[in-house]
Amino acid sequence: MAHEGRLHLLKLTLAGVNHKTTPVDIRERLAYPKEHLNDALKALSSREGILETFILSTCNRVEILTVTSHVSPGPRFFLDFLQETHPGLQGINLHPYLYHFTGEEAAAHFFEVSSSLDSMVIGEPQITGQVKEAFERARSMNLAGPMLNQIFQRAISTSKRVRTETGISHLPVSISYAACQLARKIFQDMRDKSILLLGGGDMAQLTARHMKKMGVKSLTLMTRDTQKGQLLARDYEAGHASFEELEQRLVDSDMVVCSTGADSYLIGEELAETVLHRRRNKPLFLIDIAVPRNIDPAITRHSSIFLYNIDDLKSVVEANQREREYEALQAKEIIREELQAFARWQADRSTVPLIQSLRTHTESIRLAELDRFQAVLATLPPEAREKVDILTRSLLNKILHPTYHTIRQSSDIDEVREWVSKCYGLPAESPTNDPPGQTSEAPDPEALPSPTFLKRESPA
Amino acid sequence: MLLDVLSGRSKAIPWAGITAGVGGVLLHTLSLFILFTSRGHVTLISLKESVSFFAWSLVIVFLILEHQRKAHILGILVFPVAFLCLLFVLGVSTDKTFLHTSTTSILISLHSVLIDLGLASAALAFFVSCFYLLLDMFLRKKIFNPLFNKLPSLEFLDRLNQEFNGMGFIFLTLGLIFVMIWSYRTYYMIWPWGKKGSWALLIWFLYLATVLLRRGKSFQGKQAAYLSIASFFLFAITILAVNLFMGGGHSVF
Repeated sequence: MAHEGRLHLLKLTLAGVNHKTTPVDIRERLAYPKEHLNDALKALSSREGILETFILSTCNRVEILTVTSHVSPGPRFFLDFLQETHPGLQGINLHPYLYHFTGEEAAAHFFEVSSSLDSMVIGEPQITGQVKEAFERARSMNLAGPMLNQIFQRAISTSKRVRTETGISHLPVSISYAACQLARKIFQDMRDKSILLLGGGDMAQLTARHMKKMGVKSLTLMTRDTQKGQLLARDYEAGHASFEELEQRLVDSDMVVCSTGADSYLIGEELAETVLHRRRNKPLFLIDIAVPRNIDPAITRHSSIFLYNIDDLKSVVEANQREREYEALQAKEIIREELQAFARWQADRSTVPLIQSLRTHTESIRLAELDRFQAVLATLPPEAREKVDILTRSLLNKILHPTYHTIRQSSDIDEVREWVSKCYGLPAESPTNDPPGQTSEAPDPEALPSPTFLKRESPA
Repeated sequence: MLLDVLSGRSKAIPWAGITAGVGGVLLHTLSLFILFTSRGHVTLISLKESVSFFAWSLVIVFLILEHQRKAHILGILVFPVAFLCLLFVLGVSTDKTFLHTSTTSILISLHSVLIDLGLASAALAFFVSCFYLLLDMFLRKKIFNPLFNKLPSLEFLDRLNQEFNGMGFIFLTLGLIFVMIWSYRTYYMIWPWGKKGSWALLIWFLYLATVLLRRGKSFQGKQAAYLSIASFFLFAITILAVNLFMGGGHSVF
């Protein structure tokens, strides 16, 4: 492993643009097409000092995560890279759009992105898959080492916790799902319900698809164009009916989604009254997403009718978005805990090489001293010689135990290293100059020391 | 945290509530067990005991329902009401008994317990109806708040309302049958036609009407919720009036 001996010096840096900082016309040009991502990763990893890296490129963000030794690359480094890999953006100043984090801030931002707290639609599930895909790409190109491995694993487990421990993804934020949410507030079980679709608009089709997933008993499509309607009905395993049957179908249905292009009311007061009478006041849930509306709003005076138009559904979505934002605040607490766990991992890993070198050093002194008294020890019986060996080892361990403890508890490993080196006369560390990109194989975390990058740094 | 409690967003709240409820009901069961075994019969001989048993039945029925159907939103009414009932029980220092211990028999014991269980069922139907009307209002006025998200469906609430009313009717009917048998054995009179008897019969007819109306599918939803609310109030008032204000209490039976 190329940088194994100096993991404690590794620096994590994240830079990128997203939907909050960058307008779509710049964002769409900055996004890396899939076929160019490998080249971009190669170009990035060949730069001096880059040990591990990966690029996350979606329609809403481009994020570049790098692990370097000793020094974090500044924003200029990333700006140059973005300009170079996007020749079409030459001459455009990207600086105002770029954000740049190092150390703990970089890890925190990455956790927030992976958990979908930074997404345009908070709680949307796709981002976690996109992060996984980006990491797999880096790993397949041998660009993910111990640091990226660790941060990736933690980011994925953070996103799982956020999803299961908060209600961030429970409430729907699309119009068609909002209709399903309302249906569930009226009906207990959709599996014994019948749904009538008046018109085959996009929204009606989406709602039909969701309802199908919820296992509705029967779905009927009603269109003026019989041929087209029958084709569409086949796609959704639905029945087809003509408008002449409207009254009967309304009597038989529990939910109606209306999205025809009709310019007058299809369901008016008179029809509603007849239908309700025949339904014996069984609740009827009506969704009118057509503009102009297809259902007379006056029919809501009947207590068995629940009618929602497109604006009502939008207000459901808005309310759900507000709830998700609230849940995001809860999720921040989970991220804080995961960051602490990550910091502990960092601290543990970073102390290992120091403890190991101290142990090796003191052990060599002990062996040398035993060797010096070899002549005397040789006169002793084997059991006594063994006892001396045990005694010296135990003595050494007892003396060093508080030092090991102090090292493990230390918040500033560099300071402790200096102090321990002076006290015990440890040999100085010899830095290596390995070429970048040779950090492919993830080391055994138990056997390897790790970096302390979690000291907060101000952006360059 | 306070916001979480008020909005019911925190998942820990229902869990803590249910756990505390189970603990409370176990202790309450123990205290009732000690009371009944020390006395040798289960007759509720005073208002204090009646209210205590009502609180116990309310929580027991709710916990069974919660276990089987996950309706923990009901807990926000059941637990405070049970708590207030127990506070009342603790606050009543002197307790007038409405039954002489000499009149107790197994029939009277069953009567008192069944009527209390009937009242608890009616109370649950009342709570469910309140939630029904609240959700109906949210849906009609398009109010989408955290409480709206927590409420179960109208259909579920309506079904619970029907089931609780059905249970209440069965308990009430059995309770009255047992007291009629006892009355006949003691006074050779099946029904005491007075204020008390008339009120009890009115309540029974009200619940009978509710059950019969619900059998016809067209009586449901809001109408059923309003009827449940009215029936519960009449039931509770009758119980209180019979025991407190209609001279002689049960002792003249």
